[in-house]
Amino acid sequence: MAYSSILNWIDFYQNPMSNAYYPFGDIYNLPFDISYKLWELIGGTIAWLINLIFPGNPVSIWLMDDAACTLFALIIFMLIIFIVVFVCTLISLWMERKFLGRMMDRRGTMVGMKGFLQCVADGLKTFMKENTIPGKVDKMTYMWTVSLVIGVSVLVACMVPLSDRWFVVNYDTGLLIIMAFFALAPFFILVSGWAQNNKYSLIGGMRAAELMISYEVPMLIMIGTTALLAGSFNIGDIIDAQYETVWYIVPQIIGCITFFFAATAESERLPFDIAEAEAELVEGWQTEYAGMKWGLIMLADYFRGYVACAMFAIMYLGGWMLPGIGDGPIPEIVFLLKTWFVFFLMILVRAALARVRPDQILNIGWKVFMPLSVINLAIVLLLKVGGVF
Amino acid sequence: MAIKYLDKYPKNLAKSLWVLKPQWTVLKLLAKTVRHRPVTVLYPYEKEWVPENYRGRPGLRFDKCVGCGMCVRMCPTACIKLVDATDDDGKTVRRPQVNLGRCAMCGYCAEYCPVDAMTVTPEYELAEFTRFDLLYGPRRLNYEKTTPGMEVKLEVTLPSDIANGNPERRVSLFALDRPELTDSKCIGCKKCAKVCPVNAIEMVEKGVNDKGKPILRPVIDNDKCICCSNCVDDCPKDALKIKEVL
Repeated sequence: MAYSSILNWIDFYQNPMSNAYYPFGDIYNLPFDISYKLWELIGGTIAWLINLIFPGNPVSIWLMDDAACTLFALIIFMLIIFIVVFVCTLISLWMERKFLGRMMDRRGTMVGMKGFLQCVADGLKTFMKENTIPGKVDKMTYMWTVSLVIGVSVLVACMVPLSDRWFVVNYDTGLLIIMAFFALAPFFILVSGWAQNNKYSLIGGMRAAELMISYEVPMLIMIGTTALLAGSFNIGDIIDAQYETVWYIVPQIIGCITFFFAATAESERLPFDIAEAEAELVEGWQTEYAGMKWGLIMLADYFRGYVACAMFAIMYLGGWMLPGIGDGPIPEIVFLLKTWFVFFLMILVRAALARVRPDQILNIGWKVFMPLSVINLAIVLLLKVGGVF
Repeated sequence: MAIKYLDKYPKNLAKSLWVLKPQWTVLKLLAKTVRHRPVTVLYPYEKEWVPENYRGRPGLRFDKCVGCGMCVRMCPTACIKLVDATDDDGKTVRRPQVNLGRCAMCGYCAEYCPVDAMTVTPEYELAEFTRFDLLYGPRRLNYEKTTPGMEVKLEVTLPSDIANGNPERRVSLFALDRPELTDSKCIGCKKCAKVCPVNAIEMVEKGVNDKGKPILRPVIDNDKCICCSNCVDDCPKDALKIKEVL
């Protein structure tokens, strides 16, 4: 090929599923499709340009090869997944600031786009700050734990599927794996509180552990209950089961309310933010983190809030399905709207209620949530044995 | 032990639904603030409405002022001073200058001004770079958009008036006071006539004394008098004093 048109290199209408290295089996994946086509455009242009300079070189041919296309498309795919989750989280952050302002008869953020750009400005501000590390901290654990808290939160946020065509990996145990990663952060918070060599951080870390042992068990019981009702841990199967019968908020109304509060505690939001508790513990376990680290921790908090709401939407509100309509043309938007509705309820609870004491959260966890989740399990068992579901 | 902790359960479970009440309150507030605007006023961009007689900085209508010094006398923070100024005809007159660094914006000067030359204005953004810039001279005190409502009137009703069956408000308490002369103390020095800003005092001959010189006594024109009490202050023999003449 001495001279070739650019269209010889870009095969825009190629179905990525016909690629031999298609990573998702026989399931269509929308973000991978987008990223594959993006790579067709970018890589095809690069290959064409190289071919113009060095006609007939092997690099151009390798770039548009099946394996290389899948490789580069996967890199773009990761970016797309992360950016979408990031923007969704920023929107929920904006929602919190704006709604909380209105609930307190304030205006909330005002900078650009109805206050949305305040999130961007805050992010830039924290990134421009000096990266200070206190002298007496244990540097390795100090840095590793915060990286792990942020990393695990981002990971778990990216793992939540937005629809049956927008996912990273279609696990058969998706629900369990997401909840397992979700529950990892308090361990790192405990270690981080210890590593900072600061009494506020230590108390905050201890409280995180205390908080975790109070809500984790009832929460897992409720996840098991949902899986029992649907007969699967696969998120897609759970949502299909809800589409075929009813939203699980109807049979599991007790469990749904309990899960809502347990998820609020899991994402360490008010009224269960006793680990942070900025009114009494400075910043809790985040006291010694400054600048970019603190900004990322706050972002990770909102990632976890987003995941908690998404799990609620998946387990009780039918995920991306609408009753009677099914998927619809844009199931991702349906799912995100449900998620943001749950987040709105979380904001409402945050605005209305005061923070609980550490002993109260233990009481609530073991003596209210636990019996309620067992009652919920019993109801589901009766329904299942009675043949209703 | 177990019994002790079990006591923490509420006896009446329905009572634990109090949790819903603050959420309902918050939801109502949210509905209200979404429909109307929140109470916050974005100050530099939008300002609150101010009433006509809002106590901002004092204003002065140069031509109405007679330079009596009533504002100087009444100012609680002593921020007003009479300075020399040139009026429209080129004559040098005495007019008040206000130091806004000390002004408490109480509006007493406007209340007590006998000719309503001193007013209050709705201006309250008065920041300057130096303290010297805060000295407002007689011309600078002028406020273009002065309305009748800014001439704050000192309207009072005395208890004694009400007891006498006259509950109408007096426009000014001081407008009904007049200086009174103690004839035996007066030496006829004409100082009161000189300091009177409205020329209400006229020196009248009342016979001659032992040496054959004319005896001068001030006669006060009650219609012209504005009761600024400058004559009382300047009388070297304390012959004049302010008396309530009802």
